[in-house]
Amino acid sequence: MTTTARAYLTGFGRYLPGPPVDNDGMAARLGGDDAVTARIRSSILASNGIRQRHYALDEHGEPTELNEELAVKALTAALDDRGIAPSDLRMLATATTLGDVLVPGFANMVHGRLGGGPMQLLSASGVCASSMAALDAVVSKVRLGDHPRGAVVASELPSRSLRQRRYDGFRAGMDAHFLRWMLSDGAGAVVVEFQPHPTRLSLRVDWIRQVSLAHDHAVCMRAGMSGDATHVGGTWQDVALADAQAAGMFVLRQDVGMLDDLAQAGIAQFEELVDIGLVDVRHLDHVICHYSTNVFRDVAFDALRRRIPTLDTDRWFSNLETRGNTGSASIFIALEEAWRTGRFQPGETVLLAVPESGRFSFAFAQLTVVAPTRPQGASS
Amino acid sequence: MTSATSTDSATDTAAGGASLLERLGDVWLELEDHLAKVPVLQRLDDGTVTLEDYLRLLFNLRQQVIDGSLWIARAASNFDIDHFELRAAAIKHAEEEHRDHFLLEADYVALGGSRAELRAGRKNVGSEALSGYLFTYASRPNPAGLLGAMFIIEGLGARRAAQWAARFQEVLGLADNQVHFMTYHQEADGAHTGDMEAILTSGLIDDATADEIVRCAQVVARLYALQLEELDR
Repeated sequence: MTTTARAYLTGFGRYLPGPPVDNDGMAARLGGDDAVTARIRSSILASNGIRQRHYALDEHGEPTELNEELAVKALTAALDDRGIAPSDLRMLATATTLGDVLVPGFANMVHGRLGGGPMQLLSASGVCASSMAALDAVVSKVRLGDHPRGAVVASELPSRSLRQRRYDGFRAGMDAHFLRWMLSDGAGAVVVEFQPHPTRLSLRVDWIRQVSLAHDHAVCMRAGMSGDATHVGGTWQDVALADAQAAGMFVLRQDVGMLDDLAQAGIAQFEELVDIGLVDVRHLDHVICHYSTNVFRDVAFDALRRRIPTLDTDRWFSNLETRGNTGSASIFIALEEAWRTGRFQPGETVLLAVPESGRFSFAFAQLTVVAPTRPQGASS
Repeated sequence: MTSATSTDSATDTAAGGASLLERLGDVWLELEDHLAKVPVLQRLDDGTVTLEDYLRLLFNLRQQVIDGSLWIARAASNFDIDHFELRAAAIKHAEEEHRDHFLLEADYVALGGSRAELRAGRKNVGSEALSGYLFTYASRPNPAGLLGAMFIIEGLGARRAAQWAARFQEVLGLADNQVHFMTYHQEADGAHTGDMEAILTSGLIDDATADEIVRCAQVVARLYALQLEELDR
């Protein structure tokens, strides 16, 4: 019989660039202060509930950092939190929606900037749930005993492409406006090891499940294509770049009409985890769910409460309102804050949930808080 | 296998072989007494062993594992044509073992240890004594007594290494990939032990050689346990 090791999260880090930016500061950095855009902005902000967020942009809207720099700073924070160095890592998995460059992969760029020694890399691509795909990869390799220690970082810097210049010259509808006032910059990272932290609490990864329903759904969140379906000749790579820009193909879009379906599909996936017994609704101490707007918080919370009537809002953690929606990085940025602020006690469980609108993907993970069993024994 | 038959003459090969195995069995029991007093194995037994203990054990074993196939190869080169079977067996054995340290290194690295530090390590005082004795013995003409050394070392691999591996996995939560070296030896050394028992009972061994084998086994058993007692010293 094959015996696997266990995987523990032993270090947590985040990086949020610049000072917090309030709702008035958004327009100053991103532009779009005409009357129509301003009205759409205030409407979106009113429903998503985000009060402040961070941008790697100065007060004039000019970029201050690279996405890979955000990633390295979050990783460094996680490594410092664990008390190890980049040279202690044997694997690095990264997640981002858009790296700084087209080629090579984001993980290669982050590794190059981070330093350390030889290591296995994975650049998970996608949107919000790519962070969980990256986590799953490192956790799997640690469990197999292939690597003693790895790190996962999810990093997003969408603000560069949310500035007014991307929206000039074509008539932007709701699909193009929606994400502009939702997304912001940041990075979150975790360290994964086969032994718990020698002297303090760790989070054991009990399971990770990810599923795509792309077979049954059209594209929802997208950039680089015209319309809502791909066809030969209809991607940004097929046409002159100036034409792609003029057609608004570089704008990040969301088919907002599909989002109710997304929420319902996510709830159905959660119900399935309950049905097959992976989620024990009698023992769910903390829920950290990534969502883009408080509207979905209420939908998701109501759905969970149907299965867990005793679920109270105290067990629900989100920092969307103060840290913004940082896409794939959000789940780690929330986990880091929940960890750092001392919410977790030994024996408690933590459910992570990440719905991804890209083309309907859902990722869940269950963690259990564990105390150090042998403070004197584990290697540092 | 009775004590009466064990004193029979060397020409009674079946009885002589059985007698030799019985005498080696007594040496094995002495070894087990020593192993029961080795601190790291006591901690393994009572479940207080640490990851650091396991890393130190691998670190200390590696320096001696490197020498294993070398002294066997040296012994092979010192068997004359009258001991052709022993020479053939030793050459085969050396060939099968000369990459074993790579397995150990892979485990060490999979546990978070540094391959460079492992390779820069030196033998502990027990390993120094063991290697020194074995290389000296292997330099003699027709060093058939080394079958006693193999009985002990292969026996540890076949009978104990996999138990140790399973216990380390149980206590420390390790994956199979982190205990390859020890689990591999259950199979490989089990085969070697079978080959050797065939030689020990084949009639190739006369009384004087049997005495040498038993003596060598006694020395190696003591030095091997010493190697486990003297971690890092």
